[in-house]
Amino acid sequence: MEKKKFEELMTDLEKIVKELEQGDIDLEVSIEKYTEAMKLVKICGDKLGSALESVNKIRTENGGFTDFKTEDNQ
Amino acid sequence: MEKRYITVSTLNRYLKNKLDTDSNLARVSLKGEISNFKGHTRGHLYFTLKDETSRISAVMFQFNASKLSFKPEDGMTVLVEGKISIYEATGAYQIYVENMEEDGLGNLYLKYEELKKHLATRGLFNEEHKKPLPKFPEKIGIITAPTGAAVKDILSTIKRRYPICETYLFPCLVQGELAKDDIVKQIIEANNHDLDILIVGRGGGSIEDLWAFNEEVVAEAIFNSKIPIISAVGHEIDFTIADFVADLRAPTPTGAAEIAVPNIADLNVLISQYKIRTTNLIGHLLKNQQIKLNNLKNSYVLKSPLAVYEQKEQKLSNLVSTLNSLIQNNLQYKINKYTYITGNYIINNPESLFINYQNKYNLILNKLELLNPISILSKGYSVVKLENKIIKSAENIKAGDVVDIQLHQGEIKAKVEKVG
Repeated sequence: MEKKKFEELMTDLEKIVKELEQGDIDLEVSIEKYTEAMKLVKICGDKLGSALESVNKIRTENGGFTDFKTEDNQ
Repeated sequence: MEKRYITVSTLNRYLKNKLDTDSNLARVSLKGEISNFKGHTRGHLYFTLKDETSRISAVMFQFNASKLSFKPEDGMTVLVEGKISIYEATGAYQIYVENMEEDGLGNLYLKYEELKKHLATRGLFNEEHKKPLPKFPEKIGIITAPTGAAVKDILSTIKRRYPICETYLFPCLVQGELAKDDIVKQIIEANNHDLDILIVGRGGGSIEDLWAFNEEVVAEAIFNSKIPIISAVGHEIDFTIADFVADLRAPTPTGAAEIAVPNIADLNVLISQYKIRTTNLIGHLLKNQQIKLNNLKNSYVLKSPLAVYEQKEQKLSNLVSTLNSLIQNNLQYKINKYTYITGNYIINNPESLFINYQNKYNLILNKLELLNPISILSKGYSVVKLENKIIKSAENIKAGDVVDIQLHQGEIKAKVEKVG
């Protein structure tokens, strides 16, 4: 689950919430779904909180990337 | 021979006629620099058009001049169209201007309109080619100048809104002759990398400054990009060709960054809402199940299992009672009927019926007795018969007849001695 892209995780989470809200799921399934939703909430939250420093790169003449900083974007 | 002299006006009229009938001069497109510009109070424009070595007078009448979208002034290079004719009063030939455009700019507008039409015809702007943008991009490519406001605005906006997104700058020239090829090169290069969105643009500037974004090669590179592109050319009012081809158009680089990434604060709110919603939901669900369970536990049957039998027993005994009372009723009815019948007077005193009949019989018998002609004899009467006929009158009998006299008891044969 951690390997998934944030977009997929959010889509999964949204789907589960909708399923749960639709009702008529039996108890075991809804508890499974709930557990999964809580996992997704945590992973998504962690992903959002994970960027300590934004990654900004610039393409160099020799074909690689190097860190890029603008004067007031230190 | 005398020389013939003509008047000046004849000459000028002749020349005017010559020029007016020359089809080459009826519509001339001319490029020149404005000098001696004079705006008449009535709205007509008088000026001179010149190049390095030559000049011509020009007039633009009010009804044409009113359509100008710019203010002509000395030193301005313009493109004009009009006819060549002569003003008879001065004998000066001049150009009567119908249209006038600023050189360069006018050309650019023309090129812009042509290219826009051309690309629209080719379908490059069509909605079906627009690629959807991912909602949560993880890597964004930026194609713009590495210096200047545009890249700063984009990076700071992304950092503020969605710092978990990585950015990759593909530096390029954004104005001048070399800009278009540079932009194209970097769009192609960016497509070699795993990027979610490209922002292609620059800050605001004059139409000449922005021109690279109106070039056909740039439009094609944007169209061919596999990665969705947001155009971000800093000008609010006019669209560049790049704007029309791009999958999405932003009015400024900052706007492009805002479109490209979500706001992390909103997302955190959204996620915690999901958390609250699911927790509430599951809470409700569990509570409902608990209530259901309690209801079941408290149900009559589970609480007192014998009650079911009691109920059935009750039902059975009710049935038996009903049956009993039905039978009882039925029996009682019959008893009642029997009692009624046995209570009947006749049944109880059948002899009364007999006495009754006996009385009737006696009555009838008495009556019969009374009616018996013989019975009367017992009272002392006698019946006289003559030859077996009852004699009721003396006329029917004569002396000497032998009559039979019937008495109450016995008969007598007698001889009539006298009649009357």
